[in-house]
Amino acid sequence: MTRVAVTLNVMRNAFRAGLADYRAIFTWKSWLAGWYLRVIAQVAFFALIGERLEDDEKTMYLLVGNSIMIAAVVGVFSLNMTTSERGAGTLPLLVASPSSPVVVFSARGAYLAVDGALSALAALAVAGPMFGVSLPWPDVLAVVPLTGLVAVASYCFGTFLAGLVFRFRSVNNLVVVTTHVSLMAACGVNVPLSFYPEPLEWLSRLLPLTNGLLGIRGVFGGADPTTILGDAALEAAVAVAWMTVALATFNRLAARGRRDGSLEFAS
Amino acid sequence: MPDAVEVEDVTRVFEPRKKKDERVVALDEVSLTIPEGEIHGLLGPNGAGKTTLVKILSTVLLPTSGRARVCGHDVVEETKAVRPLIGIVFGGERGLYWRLTGRQNLEYWGALYRLPPAAVRERTRTLLERVGLADRADQRVEQYSRGMKQRLHLARGLIGDAKVLFLDEPTTGMDPIAGREFRTLIGELKGEGRTILLATHDMVEAETVCDRVTLIDRGKIIATESPRSLGHVISRFQRVDVEGAPEPVLGRIAALEGVSAVTRTEDGGARIEVSEEGATAEVLRRLVDAGVTSVRTSLPSLEEVYVQLIGERGLEV
Repeated sequence: MTRVAVTLNVMRNAFRAGLADYRAIFTWKSWLAGWYLRVIAQVAFFALIGERLEDDEKTMYLLVGNSIMIAAVVGVFSLNMTTSERGAGTLPLLVASPSSPVVVFSARGAYLAVDGALSALAALAVAGPMFGVSLPWPDVLAVVPLTGLVAVASYCFGTFLAGLVFRFRSVNNLVVVTTHVSLMAACGVNVPLSFYPEPLEWLSRLLPLTNGLLGIRGVFGGADPTTILGDAALEAAVAVAWMTVALATFNRLAARGRRDGSLEFAS
Repeated sequence: MPDAVEVEDVTRVFEPRKKKDERVVALDEVSLTIPEGEIHGLLGPNGAGKTTLVKILSTVLLPTSGRARVCGHDVVEETKAVRPLIGIVFGGERGLYWRLTGRQNLEYWGALYRLPPAAVRERTRTLLERVGLADRADQRVEQYSRGMKQRLHLARGLIGDAKVLFLDEPTTGMDPIAGREFRTLIGELKGEGRTILLATHDMVEAETVCDRVTLIDRGKIIATESPRSLGHVISRFQRVDVEGAPEPVLGRIAALEGVSAVTRTEDGGARIEVSEEGATAEVLRRLVDAGVTSVRTSLPSLEEVYVQLIGERGLEV
């Protein structure tokens, strides 16, 4: 097998293992009753604020922003990977295997991107009509790949963060929550980017969600396809950039774990 | 041909991460060689440095100083060469994906060991049969018993066809039957020419399967010998079993310098334990002078050697 074929085989098996793991956690029933209801409740909560303000535009803004936010929320959960591997006692085994842990991680949690995109789209499909938001057909189809891009970019960002928390298991949950809240605050979910000072607006553009969400709002607002494609390209670039940073830093962080002895064996 | 494992003056110091922590010397200039095909036991109490040494050899921890090689490859500089050659097997419940089936676990690790898909499937099938899990292969690991998990651990360690296996207390918590089955499997691996480093507390395990054992305590190697000849290392700790010795004679022997204990046995005999060089000769002379002729001397078992060299602290595991 060539080096590329070997790497792809590692990623394929890592994805399969991740998917099997996920399917052991969720059945269709538990996904609908345990997860999807929570998603609808979260989106409805923010949309209701728009309703209380009796402003259809704000309702639309909050509903779309918070629906797509779900894709980012689930994608960023990928940063739990190192902690769950550590908890299972498999992290040192991964490090000691002939495959790079970051290659494994890049695929092992990829189901999160699929789950995130599906959850976000399902939220939009159900909560939209609930709040009288019309989904323009067939333009709304463009929202599907854009949401997928947001989920993938968030997953890549989460994988980068997984490297950062590699040695600091205790702060994992704090980083997850802080990331979710920061993305919600800074990426134009509830507040337009123009609300913030220009430097912060540019900083937001480097984060996942921002550009993809702008593109999706553009679809709903009937924006020029070139503008939407530009936003999509930026979201894709953000995804590639964060995965590149993850690849570049992860092995170095694992090497630091080898030095300071933070890669504990099972006990 | 290089030795399978070469450890040369390896020291590992853990510097304190917090002010209240202390600097820990986990390994102190440890040297050890394990020839190819040997089952080598690493015996010592908790905190002796066994796991630290295994971690260094399996490339997940760097030594502070010294060198270690596996099959001739440096574990610090040549990790890419070392990793495909080694397998790591833990004891206990961790190290497996519980929500996956046994087969899924093995196929996943097989891919990570860069085996082609067809080879992964074939080796998974063979290993599952070998460790007696073929009938439960498609059951989730969370439904496995402890012994089954341990056998799956071993299969996982072998999925990459490891030349050198590091077993870190692999039979911890297993019942005696499962432990015996596991030891049989380890013996079979030796027959295939694999080298095994077995870190354990279990004396029976070490005595049964190991070609040589190394006693380690507080990061230092105390002795390396075959389990049977290790008793000679501490030949001063002999024991003398006697029959028909009168009580006054035993009383006088108990008072001798170098005699650590005299105990009556259930069959009416007595066991005299000697803890100083030369004391055995004096004990034997006193017994013969008293007309006692049913006398037998023997060297201590591995467990007794362990206790004598490492101390009672070693039993607190």
